[in-house]
Amino acid sequence: MSHPKLASIFNKDEKKVDWHDKALWFVRHKRDKSVHHVQGWEELRNLGHGIKAHMLSNLDIYLREFEANANKNGVEVHWAANAEEHNQIVHKILKDNNAKKVVKSKSMLTEECHLNPHLEADGIEVIDTDLGERIVQLAKEPPSHIVLPAIHKNKHEVDELFQEHLGTKPCDGDPQYLTGEARKHLRQKFIEADAAITGVNFAIAETGGFVVCTNEGNADMGAHLAPVHIACMGVEKIIPKQEHLGVFLRLLARSATGQPVTTYSSHFKKPSDGRKMHIVIVDNGRSEQLSRPDFRASLHCIRCGACMNTCPIYRRSGGHSYDATIPGPIGSILSPGKDLTKHSSLPFASTLCGSCSDVCPVKIDIHAQLYKWRQIITKETPQPFIKKKSMQVMGSIFAKPKQFEKVGKIARWSLRTLPKAVINSKPNAWGKARDLPTGPKESFDDWYKKREENKGKNN
Amino acid sequence: MSSRDKILSRIEANKPDALALPNIDLSLFDEGLDLVQEFTKKAEVVGANVIDMVSNDVVAKVENLFPDAKIKYSAIENTSAFNTIDLANIEKPQDLEDLDILILESELAVAENGSVWVTDKQLPMRVLPFITKHLVIVTSKDNIVPYMHQAYHKINAGNANDFGVFIAGPSKTADIEQSLVIGAHGALSLTLLLK
Repeated sequence: MSHPKLASIFNKDEKKVDWHDKALWFVRHKRDKSVHHVQGWEELRNLGHGIKAHMLSNLDIYLREFEANANKNGVEVHWAANAEEHNQIVHKILKDNNAKKVVKSKSMLTEECHLNPHLEADGIEVIDTDLGERIVQLAKEPPSHIVLPAIHKNKHEVDELFQEHLGTKPCDGDPQYLTGEARKHLRQKFIEADAAITGVNFAIAETGGFVVCTNEGNADMGAHLAPVHIACMGVEKIIPKQEHLGVFLRLLARSATGQPVTTYSSHFKKPSDGRKMHIVIVDNGRSEQLSRPDFRASLHCIRCGACMNTCPIYRRSGGHSYDATIPGPIGSILSPGKDLTKHSSLPFASTLCGSCSDVCPVKIDIHAQLYKWRQIITKETPQPFIKKKSMQVMGSIFAKPKQFEKVGKIARWSLRTLPKAVINSKPNAWGKARDLPTGPKESFDDWYKKREENKGKNN
Repeated sequence: MSSRDKILSRIEANKPDALALPNIDLSLFDEGLDLVQEFTKKAEVVGANVIDMVSNDVVAKVENLFPDAKIKYSAIENTSAFNTIDLANIEKPQDLEDLDILILESELAVAENGSVWVTDKQLPMRVLPFITKHLVIVTSKDNIVPYMHQAYHKINAGNANDFGVFIAGPSKTADIEQSLVIGAHGALSLTLLLK
């Protein structure tokens, strides 16, 4: 389904939309308060952008360097061209180690590859251990936000979900109690796990190590308890040097939630004695996105979610209406590169206000890329009849000033005179769920001419 | 061709012309922080309890702060009397599940975000600071650097670590309706003792 259709489903519950909107704006506000206290914040963003751009322009070299160093550290490196190969590699590692119970910390890549259903089909238990991800896993839903996976659920829904699946007592949605119960439930899963899967926030070419950031400590609980640790990363997670973490760790959490840094920034390099560590490096369309000069900067993304929290469309339509692993503005420039037809409505789910680009910690020109995707999509995918026709008519009207003036007069008269039922009739998409303004008596052109005449008189 | 070679050759073909790596000019960020004051402020923001030590008796302080702790372990020197467990008898990290309190030392702290750096060198087992109920970390005021940039300079200048972690406050989550709850999967509390 297209974004407008899914968004209209989300919009049926107006109170929930308002609540969702406010919850995300609150996070955006926390981000503002935090970054305004950082001396040289704009310079930090420039550095983030510059380091990522440099990395992409040398990506093959840095990937080779990373692989060589990781091997030296005793880590096994695997390469997956697509989602299917990624799932097969992870599956094989688990089988080789006779792993039946797996704990997973947050990884948008494994969501993108639909790893869980692949493993579950073979009877392997996969437990998402980030609290928000566990909530959506129990609800059998995908995450609706990359940092706040269950932001679309209120505490009463979580309360009911936990009563059903974890046997908790009714608690009127007490977050403290619910989190405590989740801790107990997941602690057991950590203790029993045969293997741990984590994502990767940054992989350092210079050392062959990688960094995983969490607030809950779930990545570390999984990785240090289970005998096998599998870390999955997209090719673009590479940074050249360890000192570059100084830039990215200053940017990431502040942009995401307004915290000065995540609670745990764990630097994994070598497995501890008798344990195994694997890294799976995944392409899955990234090298193709790299070939598109207009869109390759989307690969700078460090997955902070700031563009979602600030986006007026995301806040009012919810993450699920994007029907993509990565929702929101950044997802809307990544997804069309993977499947233009399926995701053709996403670049239009924007007001092009540019707020996403303003908050992006690595200065991706998100709104400019949304605009560019629109140009491609209108040419390459079939457009609705009314939109196509009205664009043609508008084009011819705008091309002739005399005609434009006449049509303007009729339109202004119509807005003043015709009944609402006619003005907001079905073909007028702009009259949907909003009232159009009363038509003014004179056009801007008339007003300007009058003003010029009056100027002459006053002199 | 293997997937590895396919991916690398596609990237090589598709990447843009080489762009220079930007230099990091640290003077742009410098605001002349009072390191101890800023560190204390930020550590409290991220939920840690910061205590300025008047005496050097860490164990006495911790016994006093956590009188009910039963299973205790300290990884700092000359504190073995504090320990109720012997790591030599711990067969697997899962056996540490009931640990009430852990004392560690850190040689690096960051003023701008209230975090402390802990590595394999201070950690006999990696899971320790995550699995313990309460975590106490001792550090000297001389170890505080202003920003993450200086922290990495110090890390790069020292011996290489196989595992290291910046810890900023106790574990936490706000995944239920954005309400902050302290104590997710890791430690329920973090106490920082500043010497």
